[in-house]
Amino acid sequence: MKGLITQGGIPMIEVKNVTKKFGRKEVLKGVSFTAEKGQITCLIGINGVGKTTIMQAIMSLIPINSGEILIDGRKLTKDSYEKITFIPDTITMLPQMRIGDAFAFMADFYQSWNQKRAEELLEFFKLEETERISELSKGNTAKVNMLLGLALDVDYLLMDEPFSGIDIFSREEIANVFTSHLIEDRGVIITTHEINDIEHLIDKVVLIDNGVVLQEFNVEEVREKDGKSVMDVMREVYEK
Amino acid sequence: MNRYLKLVNFEFNRFFKLYIVLVFVTIIMQIFAVILESRRYVREAEKIIYGEMMSKAVFFKNYEPFTMARIVQSNWFYWPIALCIVVLLIYVFFIWYRDWLGKNSFIYRLLMLPTARLNLYLAKATAILIFVFGLVALQFLLFPIEIQIMKWIVPAEFRVDLPMKEYTNFIYLSAILPGSIIDFFIFYGMGIVAVFVTFTAILFERCYRLKGIIFGGFYGLVSVGFFLTPLLIDSFLLKNYFFPVELFVMEVIAGTIVLIGAVWIGNYLLKYKIRV
Amino acid sequence: MNVKFNNRDPVYVQVVRYFKEQIAKGFFEPGQEIPSRRELAHRLKINPNTAQRAYKEMEELGLIFTEGNLPSRITKDEGVLKKVRKELIMEAVETFVYSVRTINVPLEEVLHIVKEYYERADYARGNTHD
Repeated sequence: MKGLITQGGIPMIEVKNVTKKFGRKEVLKGVSFTAEKGQITCLIGINGVGKTTIMQAIMSLIPINSGEILIDGRKLTKDSYEKITFIPDTITMLPQMRIGDAFAFMADFYQSWNQKRAEELLEFFKLEETERISELSKGNTAKVNMLLGLALDVDYLLMDEPFSGIDIFSREEIANVFTSHLIEDRGVIITTHEINDIEHLIDKVVLIDNGVVLQEFNVEEVREKDGKSVMDVMREVYEK
Repeated sequence: MNRYLKLVNFEFNRFFKLYIVLVFVTIIMQIFAVILESRRYVREAEKIIYGEMMSKAVFFKNYEPFTMARIVQSNWFYWPIALCIVVLLIYVFFIWYRDWLGKNSFIYRLLMLPTARLNLYLAKATAILIFVFGLVALQFLLFPIEIQIMKWIVPAEFRVDLPMKEYTNFIYLSAILPGSIIDFFIFYGMGIVAVFVTFTAILFERCYRLKGIIFGGFYGLVSVGFFLTPLLIDSFLLKNYFFPVELFVMEVIAGTIVLIGAVWIGNYLLKYKIRV
Repeated sequence: MNVKFNNRDPVYVQVVRYFKEQIAKGFFEPGQEIPSRRELAHRLKINPNTAQRAYKEMEELGLIFTEGNLPSRITKDEGVLKKVRKELIMEAVETFVYSVRTINVPLEEVLHIVKEYYERADYARGNTHD
């Protein structure tokens, strides 16, 4: 039966035992976790541990050596890009384009492009369509990049380090985005080091080290059962 | 199909500014060549006839008449053509590499488009072909204009108006503007196959980086080798057994197979092996 | 809404507690409409699923009620409201007694100090709630 949704009908992204080598370096040594729709899952790990690699693998931007990645029970196809999108830490548009041009491009190629939402977000971020991407500050570039992903009516959003290298006010704005209707009901995977800013925003944490998942847990459950914060768990796990 | 066309349009627009510059440079330099060579000839002729008091009849006996052939051999005429060729050759590579350059992660966007990745490949190839044939068309359009200008400067008695075949007979022109339709198809057909093979070789490099250069190079050699096989077998093993027509058909088939191979492998690489 | 959450107690529990405090203090009036779970998540900067959980818990505790598709409201039930106030007072009392018990002072004196301080503080604030 094609299109079977696994795990009792919960739509999710499943990463199953994924391995990936770059040359001789084994970056992923069997990574498995799930990220459910309607939840914010956070991949945490030190720099270079493979968080970005995992996201690129989910999006089929790099090949994997073994393992399987399923989105709503199925492998990724070209149509999946109307259902899932990736916001990497560099902007995915030509620098000489104006923001308006970028919108036109997205509208042209994606049926799931929501022009109204894009304009709403642009206003929220206090930017103009006539601004050229190459002339934007780092914080504003990050916002535009995020906008390009948020304005798509996709079920799943992958964000790589949405808080990296931008000033504290931009970070607050972006945190605002996470609690707004823009994220609601979607499945979100983010990677970050700034766990402090977002502990209250996330549902699930996946701790990654040395190419494997050390722990995968629901944040509120751990608080309730063990009275521990995410930082506490991290400390414990990394000390082993 | 729709997204393929949109991609073609996109690729076309990305290069358009540079392309227009090439077009203008070609037009200006070639017209300059026409004017320069025409006036030079007229001046020299006048110097001889009026300066040295030679009669026109004697002049015509001793000196060659002016033809397009003279213009076409002028540096000013063919440097822009050479420039266009070089720029397009570079762009065959750059059309891919520009998406990976620097902080530019536009390749992410292209690979995440909800369209078959084959369309990325085909759109870039189509764009290159449009550019190439555009320039060829430009040259055909320029010839009558250039001839007219020449006619304005050089009086009829000093000219011989050659048919196009005669003045495009020179080495570089006979390649880009072959005399017969068949030759045109052969040359540009091979060119098209070469572009596709190059694209696939580039994709080998993009998928496997350093190792990929070797794979790509090897793949290129195999393609060329396969393509030449009918000719080589006929020449060396069979002592020219086949008629030219038969060889031609075999070459067309071989070329088609190489082309299909390039597209198939390119598609496979883009779908399953590419890395940002 | 300016609430500081700690990272060790479940956030939804902290939200429920916040609501209880606001109710006890009278800032949330009986029958008052409360924001949607989305709106609450946005204002408090928490995960919407957490807001959802908090609302579920409060619904179960009878702190809020929902009629059909209308927005949820704070309960009008006096009994519940009294219980909440008492609960919070008891908490403060427990903490106070626990800290003070070890200090060797008779109860009447302690109560006297409390009364004095309470009245002074009331006066200093101009007898208004802040």
